[in-house]
Amino acid sequence: MLSGEELQILATSFWVAANAVLWSLPFAIAAAFALSRPRFPGKLLLDAIAHLPIILPPVLVGFVLLMLLGRRGAVGALLAQFGIQFAFTAKGAALATAVMIFPVFVRSIRLAFEATDRGLFEAAAVLRAGPLDRFFSVALPLAGPGILAGMVMAFATALGEFGAVITFAANIPGKTQTLPLAIYAVLQQPGGEAEAARLALLSFLLALLGLAAAALLQRWAVRE
Amino acid sequence: MSLLQADIEMRQGEFSLEARLEIPGDGITVLFGPSGSGKSTLLAVLAGLSRADRQTIALGGRDLSHLLPHQRGIGLVFQDARLFPHLSVRRNIEYAARRAPRGAPAIEKVAQFFDIAGLLDRRVRNLSGGEKSRVALARALVSRPDFLLLDEPFAALDGTRRRAFIQVLIHMHRAWRLPMLVVTHNIDDAAALGSHLVALKEGRVVAAGEFAQASRDPQFQALLDSHDTGAAVRLAHSQHGGHWLRADQVLIATEEPKAVSARNILPATVQRLAHEPDGVLVELATEAGVILSRLTPEAVAELGLAPQKKAWALVKAHAL
Repeated sequence: MLSGEELQILATSFWVAANAVLWSLPFAIAAAFALSRPRFPGKLLLDAIAHLPIILPPVLVGFVLLMLLGRRGAVGALLAQFGIQFAFTAKGAALATAVMIFPVFVRSIRLAFEATDRGLFEAAAVLRAGPLDRFFSVALPLAGPGILAGMVMAFATALGEFGAVITFAANIPGKTQTLPLAIYAVLQQPGGEAEAARLALLSFLLALLGLAAAALLQRWAVRE
Repeated sequence: MSLLQADIEMRQGEFSLEARLEIPGDGITVLFGPSGSGKSTLLAVLAGLSRADRQTIALGGRDLSHLLPHQRGIGLVFQDARLFPHLSVRRNIEYAARRAPRGAPAIEKVAQFFDIAGLLDRRVRNLSGGEKSRVALARALVSRPDFLLLDEPFAALDGTRRRAFIQVLIHMHRAWRLPMLVVTHNIDDAAALGSHLVALKEGRVVAAGEFAQASRDPQFQALLDSHDTGAAVRLAHSQHGGHWLRADQVLIATEEPKAVSARNILPATVQRLAHEPDGVLVELATEAGVILSRLTPEAVAELGLAPQKKAWALVKAHAL
């Protein structure tokens, strides 16, 4: 079975992925809902920003975060005065992961919003529901299953994040060392292939599980 | 005095809508026109769901032109009902009740009225077309609109259900004194429902007014399919609106017929004869109003029909 060290790696991975998903959830929902609207000023820009992490090299994303949120970074120095530190912490790993999974997250939630019959918003409007009311009473509940599927998909993606995390949060065992980072670390040691293979298999199984869960939820969402 | 006044100009590609409307506060007004004449677009503009290039809309003197749909107090029942699929029937109606400005009628009472009490805890997906339409009506009523628009709410229903639904609409109008504008392209539905008529053709109002009168407008007659030719009359036994009597369902006798159901015979005077490619259209003045009858030229000659001649109009029973 799994060793204590492996369990620790798994726990760090789950903590980082879960936090990344939860933190980015409200932003992802807001961006996805906005992008599912037919037209509004700045749509193209928002679309580009939401997709930026896919295009940029992950190391660059980590580097930019470091520049901004590192101890000597513009925002990081300010946060440090309140005792808040992101760089080289598990929180930082979660933040870097949140940025990286954002495009996948937004895309899957956007599909859920786009699949909603727009006529239902009109029906709600003539029943005296204002825009915010319509969002919470019609759009969100109808997209609910799709959002859940998006969360599972984002979580599975988060478990695999590497470049941005290692750059911004480093590879500290017991603190920021997630599964892919641990695989990388053992590969650096001579004779680490067997351990790397065990971790890789674990990683693979988790990814499969995540995909299957997302697919099941997606099917449920369509039936709903 | 009219309750709803609207002056609308809108351009959508090739199509342009230029309509000036005055809808009375009492009775049911029918918005009639062929498909593509702009009926649904007009409703969407009145409800605030579409913006016209230029629009002045007032309801009971209140200017709605710049208000959002949820601020207008105008209800709209869609052709496809648009019930919320994530809510039960009861929850759909409660959705409207919670947002109604003043005391909404009790849901149980409304449910009984629309004969949907047994459906309240069902999911909307499992309802039939007729049930969905009735739930949509109940939901719209409970939101307490000042004016209700209906976009062919019976389009999905067949003959008997359709007639039953029209009766429900008429009862609803009477019970709650709710002014309505109902869109239809079916002249029989229009005549069964409407106390007033607005006819729309290619985005322009071509006839408007009290139904029996506006339906005789040549511009309105020109909108009808050839088989629709006829006139709306208010028969003594009809309680609401009028009846559309198709010209080819009206026979003419020059001597008083005997042993025929009395309700179907109307003493008349011939007013005019119009020779048309598919027969002669005879205009008869009766107590109920003007009735048109289509006869062959041979029949007209045989009966010796001419203006001022006394005659009797016989209406086929199923036309009533």
